[in-house]
Amino acid sequence: MSSCAILSSTIRMEGASVADFSWTARSPLEHALVAGTHGARGVEAGVSLTEIRNFDLIQVMARRGQGAELGKAAKARFGVAVPDAPKAVQTSDATLIWSGPDQFFVLSKGGKHAMQTLAPALSGSLSDQSHARALISISGAKARAMLAKLSSIDLHSDAFPVGAAAATSMDHTSVTLWRGGDRPDGQAVFNLLVFATFAESLWHTMLDSAAEYGVATGHSAELA
Amino acid sequence: MRIVCPFCGERELGEFTYLGDAKPVRPEAGASEDEVFDYVYLRDNVAGQTSEYWYHGGGCRAWLKLTRNTLTHEISSVEPAAGVGARQAVK
Ligand SMILES: [Zn+2]
Repeated sequence: MSSCAILSSTIRMEGASVADFSWTARSPLEHALVAGTHGARGVEAGVSLTEIRNFDLIQVMARRGQGAELGKAAKARFGVAVPDAPKAVQTSDATLIWSGPDQFFVLSKGGKHAMQTLAPALSGSLSDQSHARALISISGAKARAMLAKLSSIDLHSDAFPVGAAAATSMDHTSVTLWRGGDRPDGQAVFNLLVFATFAESLWHTMLDSAAEYGVATGHSAELA
Repeated sequence: MRIVCPFCGERELGEFTYLGDAKPVRPEAGASEDEVFDYVYLRDNVAGQTSEYWYHGGGCRAWLKLTRNTLTHEISSVEPAAGVGARQAVK
């Protein structure tokens, strides 16, 4: 759903409209994110923090004992096997991210794999998380050094290569972390999904952790 | 202490929550009051091997069943707990 989309709803009762309301979907980081450079001055920013906005995110979970059926349906839909281990798999127009046994996220843009289109294609339990998470992309020469302050996971390339994923905690907050494709300059990109209501807190924590390296912050509508 | 989640790999203790002793088994319907009292309230304070339920809430959110030595904190086995409760219920 677009961040500037107007969502509206009408509650009908006995044929008459009793409530009309509309609201604007906004980023959970709207206030916390101040685009620009922060922290150490006079150096090239060692860390880039970019919030990705306007994405579709669907959590898919197999019903008990039906993991194989879901895997089959998902393969037919996406053309690739869904991850059955902590990994992120790139398809032509979506990223499938493992989030636990017999469950995964479908991350995409432009409604191609939104709830309405995905639900009829997949068995299992689907839940729209598009507005429930913030997506933050972390890169830069000091990205690992910054993340090492917050994560107990080994993010060295040997242990956490492109396509590796983890359901883990950072700063006592549950996150889904995965390594996207490297930047054109070869630097690693770490993508992070965090509950919307925890996003601001984690954002500030990452800003503080990155301050000594210099941080460049911004937002983008492009999935990394 | 670290726990090797069968789904996520080795993780720090902070990602897990202890649920409790995995040994007590729900008594059959019609069991005596003493048996039910034992199941609900009484726990062994073992110095040695215990079996325990843990929850990987800070990770994959799976329930796990561990065998742990309370003297050394050595964890000798970790398995998914999924289905254990269901099997007991239909017995
Ligand atoms: Zn786990």
